[in-house]
Amino acid sequence: MPDYAKTKKPDVKLVILGDMNVGKTSLLHRYMERTFKDTISTVGGAFFLKQWGPYNISIWDTAGREQFHGLGSMYCRGAAAVILTYDVTKWQSLVELENRFVSLTDTANSDCIFAIVGNKADLTDTRAFAVEPEENGTEEKEQGPRASSSPAAPPKGHKQVSREDAVALYSRILQYKLLAEETCLPAERMCFETSAKTGYNVDLLFETLFSMVLPSIRRKEAQSDSPTVDLEECREVKGAKPGCCT
Amino acid sequence: MDEEQQDREQPETVRCSHPESDCSPDATDSLDAAAAAAAISSHDPSLSDRDCGTEGPFPGKSAGIKIISSTNGPVEPDLQGPGGEGPSERTANHSEVSVGEVNGRSRPEGAEDEEDRPEDVSDSASTDNTLEDSSEFVVTVLTRASLEDQADGPSSEPSGLSQTPPPSNQDEDVTAESWRQHRKHVFVLSEAGKPIYSRYGNEEALSSTMGVMMALVSFVQTGDNTIRSIYSDEHTVVFMQQGPLVLVSVSCSRQSEQQLRAELLYVYNQIVSMLTQASINRIFERKKNYDLRRLLAGSEKILDGLLNLVDSDPSFLLSAVHCLPLASALRDSLSQILQKAITPNLVFSILIAKQQLLTIVQEKTVIEDARLEPADLHLLLNLIGASSAFQAGEIWTPICLPLFNPDCYFYAYISYLDPPDCTVCLLLLSTDKEAFYAVAECKRRIDEGMRAQNALSSIAKAHSYSASQVGVPDLRHFMYKPFDVPDNHRQLTQFTSPEMEAPYSSEEERSRLLDLYRYMHSRIHSSSRPLKLIYHVAERETLLAWVTGKFELYTCFSPLVTKASAINAITKLLRWIKKEEDRLFIRSPPKYSTTPNPSKSSRGSKGASDRPDGSDNGFLSLL
Ligand SMILES: Nc1nc2c(ncn2[C@@H]2O[C@H](COP(=O)(O)OP(=O)(O)OP(=O)(O)O)[C@@H](O)[C@H]2O)c(=O)[nH]1
Ligand SMILES: [Mg+2]
Repeated sequence: MPDYAKTKKPDVKLVILGDMNVGKTSLLHRYMERTFKDTISTVGGAFFLKQWGPYNISIWDTAGREQFHGLGSMYCRGAAAVILTYDVTKWQSLVELENRFVSLTDTANSDCIFAIVGNKADLTDTRAFAVEPEENGTEEKEQGPRASSSPAAPPKGHKQVSREDAVALYSRILQYKLLAEETCLPAERMCFETSAKTGYNVDLLFETLFSMVLPSIRRKEAQSDSPTVDLEECREVKGAKPGCCT
Repeated sequence: MDEEQQDREQPETVRCSHPESDCSPDATDSLDAAAAAAAISSHDPSLSDRDCGTEGPFPGKSAGIKIISSTNGPVEPDLQGPGGEGPSERTANHSEVSVGEVNGRSRPEGAEDEEDRPEDVSDSASTDNTLEDSSEFVVTVLTRASLEDQADGPSSEPSGLSQTPPPSNQDEDVTAESWRQHRKHVFVLSEAGKPIYSRYGNEEALSSTMGVMMALVSFVQTGDNTIRSIYSDEHTVVFMQQGPLVLVSVSCSRQSEQQLRAELLYVYNQIVSMLTQASINRIFERKKNYDLRRLLAGSEKILDGLLNLVDSDPSFLLSAVHCLPLASALRDSLSQILQKAITPNLVFSILIAKQQLLTIVQEKTVIEDARLEPADLHLLLNLIGASSAFQAGEIWTPICLPLFNPDCYFYAYISYLDPPDCTVCLLLLSTDKEAFYAVAECKRRIDEGMRAQNALSSIAKAHSYSASQVGVPDLRHFMYKPFDVPDNHRQLTQFTSPEMEAPYSSEEERSRLLDLYRYMHSRIHSSSRPLKLIYHVAERETLLAWVTGKFELYTCFSPLVTKASAINAITKLLRWIKKEEDRLFIRSPPKYSTTPNPSKSSRGSKGASDRPDGSDNGFLSLL
């Protein structure tokens, strides 16, 4: 076995799943690089390390294409959080989450947390549309539409997926995971509507999740004496988690 | 037509010597001007006559063509395009459709091996002048069919795709004149006639055009023949069937059929690199009318990018890899850094800068069993180019190397060593799907090694060279592909070429020069009459191409150069290359061993067709 580097060992793993073209790469790019730029459909998966305070959080941006479906469970192995992303203007993208992506999370940690994220809110929602990119679209800024800040036309996209649909999916996922809703994080906190384009709710999404997985990091630290955490250990966790075979 | 006419009007002199004649391999190492000049002139009279006099518009054509079907009848019955009543009435005033035959061509495997062999195309189905009308007709059919499509609206058949493709070529209006005027269209369809890919315009809007193409293909097939190409004044239409896929190139680039076919093969292999041949075949065995776009959705940009590269990068034409010139000591130390950072099941470590190869280190068993073909590397580089949008991350993706083994996946780790510039790219290939963290760890060590030697700044200083460095006044540009660099040819075919500088700095001029090279290449590799040496006086430059047993060389001179001085210049150029060889090429790709029990294959790897089949290859069974 090669000796693992002592530096930058990821403490915790987060995975972004969802159909192709829903904006997974754009969301991560917005969060990490603070910009929105043209993307190319992801091949396989892309691994990023985000330094968050003293922690190294590893984030997998996966390809939504069916072609790479077989890899999904590998990317999810040992994940502490999964972001299930859909496009608010495409009903099918929510359906695909349930059809193709939820089952991939079987390899995630047993206490994995789930977030359901409807992206491209700028197309349907004036609030998301009007957020000024420079202000990084933090959630508190609920300023009214500012004609001057956005040269494009106001949103007139048809919203195909409502927040209620996402909330309903969230509880179906908990059922699938055999988790009692009362003991889990409430749907209101775990369903987001974002815009990678304007930055709307993007920081909120990632930082909420980071702060939620912190306990998982602390527990790992307590468990292990060594300063490094072996990600392979997650494989053992697999057998112990509640069974949810399909 | 322009170029050909130009050849005849301006007394272009094409001199050539026949295969196996004067330019024998042994004469070349110590080439001197006199010998070369003799080689040329001794063949002047007869060959230049043949060359210039009798040739029709299509260099690949020969007397041995088999015309298997003629008259305007045969095309009609099967030409019911899905879009409407079929174009049959349009054929009425046209004369002949002739289609060449190649028996046994439908074998999916093996076919790709054969493509590069000149003799393979000797029965190529060119048509002759009488076909202008009918081939025009096909082109007309193709465009008319698309018009009908528009009228009907896009195919009503539900596709599995919920997304609209990102704005690109796909959004083009297929009824517009500008759509027809593209230099080279490429279409991919399934045997059932389902559209899979179109370079320009949305495949769905083109479904009846593709239906017509498939009708042509299957009509000819009913006679146990294979349609290969159709020529018109303007266009060359080349068909290629690979397993359940049919690829069609409609080009007015005046490239040879052989070249267009090689390009289609790149397209097919890029698709295989994403899906593997085995799974493509399996999918269509199960469901003949499967919509492959379900699996390829999102890959259009990769294919678009490939076709742009094929048009602009001579590596594809030459089937060779372009190395970045580098002091051999630096290249060796980079190789050593890669050699030290290994993990089980790692098979290739590749370092790339500015889209050119810096070094490549291979697993020992891989070298013994098979080699990395330049084409596989090209497909790999194209994939990297197309997936580098978000460069800070480390990519882990399955990829198949179609020539190495069309049925297996490797897992590619792709990462840039110099963010945020992202010019130096590390590519590590493993056979283990789960090896990401171990492979990423190799990258950390490579990073460290590079930092310790300050290698990144040395790499940053490396750059391509200028033709003027050769010190030959009239030499503007060249491409040199050696067959004799010790050790390396068998393992990795390379070529070297200076920057394209003035007068070839503009996009147009560059592509004009490439077109000239393609023309020279098609003459050199002509299936009917391969040439060893061509001296070609074009309008604004003079070109000389020469192939021997030891190298293939294309040179471009200013128009005023004389034949004698061009020969003289080539002598100097070859000397210069010899002197710079260590810097220009990877001499012998270093190796490492990462498989615990490398099982040696019984087959040697001498031949060009050493392709692993997985079953008797120890390390491939790990896949
Ligand atoms: N209007 C709008 N467009 C967006 C937004 N996010 C992404 N897009 C666009 O949606 C397209 C797809 O975005 P990507 O981020 O590449 O999608 P992805 O989910 O990573 O797709 P795959 O990698 O193929 O799985 C791009 O053209 C983006 O510009 C958004 O918030 N608003
Ligand atoms: Mg993506």
